[in-house]
Amino acid sequence: MDQAEVLKEKVQEGFMVEGIDDMNEEYLKALKQTLTIVGDTELLSVPPLLTVYDQAPTLNNKITALAIMQDEIGHAHIAYRLLKDLGEDTDGLLYSREPNRWKNPYAFDFQLSNWIELGVFNALFDRAGYTLLGDAGQHTSYGPWRRALVKVDKEELFHLRNGEIIMRSAMKDPELRGKVQEAVDWMFIMALEFFGVADNLKSRSQQIEYKLKGKTNDELRQTWLSTAVPFCESIGVKVPAHYDEETEKFVLDVPFPCKFDVENKKWLFDQPDTWDNVIKRFKARGPQNQQFVERIQQGAKELEKLRNEAVS
Amino acid sequence: MTAVSTNTQKYWEALKEVMDPEFPISVVDMGLIYDIQEEDGVIDITMTFTAVGCACTEWIQGDIEKRLMEETEIRQVNIEVVWDPPWTVARLSPEARKRMKSWGVSSR
Repeated sequence: MDQAEVLKEKVQEGFMVEGIDDMNEEYLKALKQTLTIVGDTELLSVPPLLTVYDQAPTLNNKITALAIMQDEIGHAHIAYRLLKDLGEDTDGLLYSREPNRWKNPYAFDFQLSNWIELGVFNALFDRAGYTLLGDAGQHTSYGPWRRALVKVDKEELFHLRNGEIIMRSAMKDPELRGKVQEAVDWMFIMALEFFGVADNLKSRSQQIEYKLKGKTNDELRQTWLSTAVPFCESIGVKVPAHYDEETEKFVLDVPFPCKFDVENKKWLFDQPDTWDNVIKRFKARGPQNQQFVERIQQGAKELEKLRNEAVS
Repeated sequence: MTAVSTNTQKYWEALKEVMDPEFPISVVDMGLIYDIQEEDGVIDITMTFTAVGCACTEWIQGDIEKRLMEETEIRQVNIEVVWDPPWTVARLSPEARKRMKSWGVSSR
């Protein structure tokens, strides 16, 4: 049995990886990729939230939104700190990386249109994060990450509940009901895309084999649907999915994946698409990718400029 | 005739189901509830928050009111927020400390 097989077997049997000495190159690479996606996702969730936080209906709502953003930056810090311990140049990652090299979900490359969308962002996108990180928290073989996720998990639940409160109260207001539905119409499918390509298109997953995560993409999508669909239905929001008694699974009522009209933030359900094309769309990035990454890097770059001017 | 409730224990128990939004510890175990009085279906809560800038004051008050209104005899909930005595971590219950420790969060 080669070294990789031995490690895979060990982690499947419950061995916890605590440091680089416990890893092989493949594990280290997969772990770094995973933590980069996680850190980027946490950090880049902040700029879209910032686009509408000043529309908060009350001061306390605004402070809640700021507390959530602070949490997200804290979560990003955890992921980058773990990367630093693994030998990554995190300053380089944060401040020198080109916008299109960031690994946050495509859904975060869009500015929000109103406060309701911030609520739906929390209720649907944070739910996706909660689903993914909850799985990692339960299953990941990387000990330092697993321990750090205990706190993250509790905070993500707070974000999710904030979203649910915003959506629930907006649904009681005749003027805002339509806005909730409009937001869910584009954000529901976006959230489903978080979980990545369908299982039958993946030949193998190192993330699963090395137990960086426990469940497959499709299983995680089901977990998300199992709470997102009942919640939306309970408050009167229509979603393009339902529970199928026969297969005991949630099924989508629209083609997935399908093409997306970026400008109007609308899914083109008459134009089913392939995962290959979706990945191309992800890689081409969404409309605010550059602006949002520049926002993150702005302070560091300005300081660097000042420092250079002072020296010269 | 006025029914003055001498035993508010059931309301303390009820509020043990109302969780702080940021960490799932009840508002009772957080030490946020200072006093509960009930008279003729009207309940008066005296409470505080962990900080003046608490991100969830309206949220927590809404949850408290909603839970207490589930008690059939209750028809009104009044909440008075006070800042004296100020909340400190000393007000956390042993249960709250235990849970925070299990999450890796300091309660000192």
